[in-house]
Amino acid sequence: MIPDATLCASPEIMPEAAECPDENKRQCCKREYSRTERISMSLCSAREVLRMQKMSLVGLLLFLSFVLMAVFSEELAPFDPWMRFEPYLLPGSEHLLGTNDMGNDILSELIYSTRISLFVGFAAALMATLIGTIVGLLAGYYKGMTDEILMGITDIFLMIPQIPLIIVIASFLRPSFWIVALLMGALWWTSTARVVRSRTLQVREMGFVQASRALGFSDLHIIFTDVLPNTCHVIAPKFLLSIASAMIAEASISFLGLGDPTMKSWGTMINFAFTRGGFINGYWWWYLTPGLCITLFVLCVVLMGFAWEEQERTNQRLE
Amino acid sequence: MSLTAKRASRYIIALVIIFTLNFVIPRAMPGDPLTNLLGEDVILTDSSVIELRSEMGLDRPLFEQYLDYWHGILHLDLGYSFHRHSPVAEIIFARMKWTLLLAVPSLLTGGILGTILGALAGWRSANSCQKASTAFFLAIYCTPPYFLCLLALYLFSFKLDIFPLKGFYDTGSAADIALHLFLPVLVMTLFSLSRNYMIMRGSVLQEKSSLYAAFARAKGLYDAEILFRHVFKNALLPIITLLAMDFGFILSGALFVEIVFSMNGMGNLIYDALLSRDYPVLQGSFLIITLMVVSANLLADILYSRLDPRVRWH
Amino acid sequence: MNSRRPDDAPILQIEDLSVSFSTATGQVKAAENVCFKLYKGETLALVGETGCGKSVVASSIMQLLPNNAHIQGRAIYAGRDLLSLSEKEMSRIRGSEIAIVFQNPSLALNPIMRVSEQIAEMLQVRKGYPAAQSLELAGEMLHRLGLQGDDKMRMYPFQFSGGMNQRVMIAASMILSPRIIIADEPSKGLDGALAAEVMAEMARIKNQVGASLLLITHDLNLARNISDRMAVMYCGEIMEIGESEEIFSLPRHPYTAALLRCLPERGFQPIPGPSPSMIKPPAGCKFHPRCPNISEVCRRKPKMTRVEGRGTAPAGSESEIREVKCWRY
Repeated sequence: MIPDATLCASPEIMPEAAECPDENKRQCCKREYSRTERISMSLCSAREVLRMQKMSLVGLLLFLSFVLMAVFSEELAPFDPWMRFEPYLLPGSEHLLGTNDMGNDILSELIYSTRISLFVGFAAALMATLIGTIVGLLAGYYKGMTDEILMGITDIFLMIPQIPLIIVIASFLRPSFWIVALLMGALWWTSTARVVRSRTLQVREMGFVQASRALGFSDLHIIFTDVLPNTCHVIAPKFLLSIASAMIAEASISFLGLGDPTMKSWGTMINFAFTRGGFINGYWWWYLTPGLCITLFVLCVVLMGFAWEEQERTNQRLE
Repeated sequence: MSLTAKRASRYIIALVIIFTLNFVIPRAMPGDPLTNLLGEDVILTDSSVIELRSEMGLDRPLFEQYLDYWHGILHLDLGYSFHRHSPVAEIIFARMKWTLLLAVPSLLTGGILGTILGALAGWRSANSCQKASTAFFLAIYCTPPYFLCLLALYLFSFKLDIFPLKGFYDTGSAADIALHLFLPVLVMTLFSLSRNYMIMRGSVLQEKSSLYAAFARAKGLYDAEILFRHVFKNALLPIITLLAMDFGFILSGALFVEIVFSMNGMGNLIYDALLSRDYPVLQGSFLIITLMVVSANLLADILYSRLDPRVRWH
Repeated sequence: MNSRRPDDAPILQIEDLSVSFSTATGQVKAAENVCFKLYKGETLALVGETGCGKSVVASSIMQLLPNNAHIQGRAIYAGRDLLSLSEKEMSRIRGSEIAIVFQNPSLALNPIMRVSEQIAEMLQVRKGYPAAQSLELAGEMLHRLGLQGDDKMRMYPFQFSGGMNQRVMIAASMILSPRIIIADEPSKGLDGALAAEVMAEMARIKNQVGASLLLITHDLNLARNISDRMAVMYCGEIMEIGESEEIFSLPRHPYTAALLRCLPERGFQPIPGPSPSMIKPPAGCKFHPRCPNISEVCRRKPKMTRVEGRGTAPAGSESEIREVKCWRY
């Protein structure tokens, strides 16, 4: 990527160039990896990220504890979140985080809400990543007209104000978290597509892809067995960052009351607190806690995503 | 020239598609298209239903309706709100100035401060002071804007009782408006600042290791001189379009800020329309916001081609 | 070639310079115990294969190495050790006292700044000249290097060829009349004729301003043509140093001899064996695994030894020293 001329200016490429003093040998140092190597490398790079960035380790721990909270809600929550106690209780020994206007235990609500919030975030991010990856792979692999058209569509999608569009569409439909997740997935794929495309443009010129093509493998086969595994490491951080933006969007849309009122998510909790007087009357435990949960979760996902991206950037420079 | 033509066609196609989407949505959604076009809770007699149906052209073929729709758009006719008994365009334009009053100053300060602070953070990424500021803006970056408002209100209005809780003004004097605007503008500024900050920081981190920065150092430039004479502009150029794309997200943020602060702008208009299912207003607002976002992108494109000599000369 | 008197004190003295980089795979020893002197007005060529650490030496003199580099030793310039100066003090030396010409000029120039401004900037920042005067001086310098005309002044690097950008870089390195110019592979990426032309211009201007030139190159013929003295580097160490002509006609170190045999006109024979690792270099003499004259003693580290030059120089004069790092001497 960066010519070896940058030997001294760019520190990261120094060691590798130094290891192979003559020109010919350095050529063979330009590593190209098979799929298994690549996958194990991205696992390694994930491990490296963790080792190098303490912040992302904190992020991972938080992330895991939220996931555990979502999976084991029943076991962890002290009460059924729909059970009614005395309303407007301040946080205390009986109800650690107090109760809301219906007398529901806030802590239990929070724990149960983790499920929906995480589900929406993951489902949307998964779908966005899927669409983005496919669009990026096709555009980058076939280039030319396909690329022009697909990237044109991507540019157009980038210009659509996503949250207002979701608001309009969701307002016509019955409120449901599935729909919110699907809509977000259908709108959030653009940046993934761009990253995957530019990576694919690089990978398709590598020796082993050229070799597969020369051997007569079909395009689809090459895309999925040779190109895709080599783009995984740029997709993964994008996936994490998509979770983050999907969660913020979900929280925003639920705040407008477009979430399913029969289910609890962090966004709907804040919505209820806001519309049912929790905010005006200053019942801070009702609306501050779910908000902090959103921020914390998004923060840990973003931390991991950024750290990973950074790592990939240095790895790229090494290549 | 052909590049300009290609760009221009991209914007036109984007607008056509988004406007077409706006035409399709109420007709494709479940339920009666008439209800979808008028809004729910509009009580009509049977005879007026038929009358309205033909007036709105719903009995005619779709293609004719589509042409009519474009005719309306080109004449700035965004439909009629039966809830508010006035044309949608009028309602939106009356509200928009308040939204702009909130969004424009915060977008500008957020943009300028965000890029400068972000550039410094990327340049001195090992400095512990910069690390702290990155952590602070990262936390804001990860917070939904409306929750930021709730936090700010909780702190400044409930606990410290410095700023009024809501609205644009009580008495209407400039000082009063400024007092009411302070918190929302602060939150909006922080919000847009944090996004620009993170983008710019990443870009500078990448540019920092480039050879021209090393050469600038070799020429005898010192620290910040290298950053602001060489790296800053190089780091800013590739992200101008990125910042413009973020404009849509930041503008959506402004809507939520208005809702929390009960300000009479587009945000609350959309919120009320949502509660009463006033579809024409919702759709009209969506179109206007889209127009604003697309023009911001266009502006960024023009700005970019002006600032980057490599584009200018081709 | 120049009028250096034997009793001149060196303008730059590198003492025991060692540089290593910590990386994920281990410590990379890019330079080890490098010593040499650069005299006023002379041209010293630092030659060696790509990746032998010669560019690292150049960058460490200028303190341009990244943070993961560990530098030991001293680089004495005007009575001060450059390696211990602060970034602020160093910025006053860079460009105005010691200038460097990078390899790959098209990447080293700021892509979105006019070339004349990139040169004039140095006058504005370091000398406080007003913009108009600086631009004028920059234009003059470009003119001397063969880039005439107002239109050239207003050009951007991407509108120039590699050779033109190289001239811009040379102009930038000379504008403040530095006492030392370091040229890091200045001929890289230029074709033969152009490289010769650029180097001739460089040598001419260097003599005009009376600066010393430290030329870093892998091109032996270029080094022979324009340098007074030559230091041969292998795997981070200087193997041999002496008058260029003398080294060419009578190489003392087996590595120098092998390197010269690689030249097309001398038989085009590659050096046998693989290049050594910079992380775990061979013990003793680093060249011994590939050396044709290997003996048991080569497993221990040889010292830099002074050998007699070929009679042309008065005996005992410091400047004509020939030194070889090999057990045979």
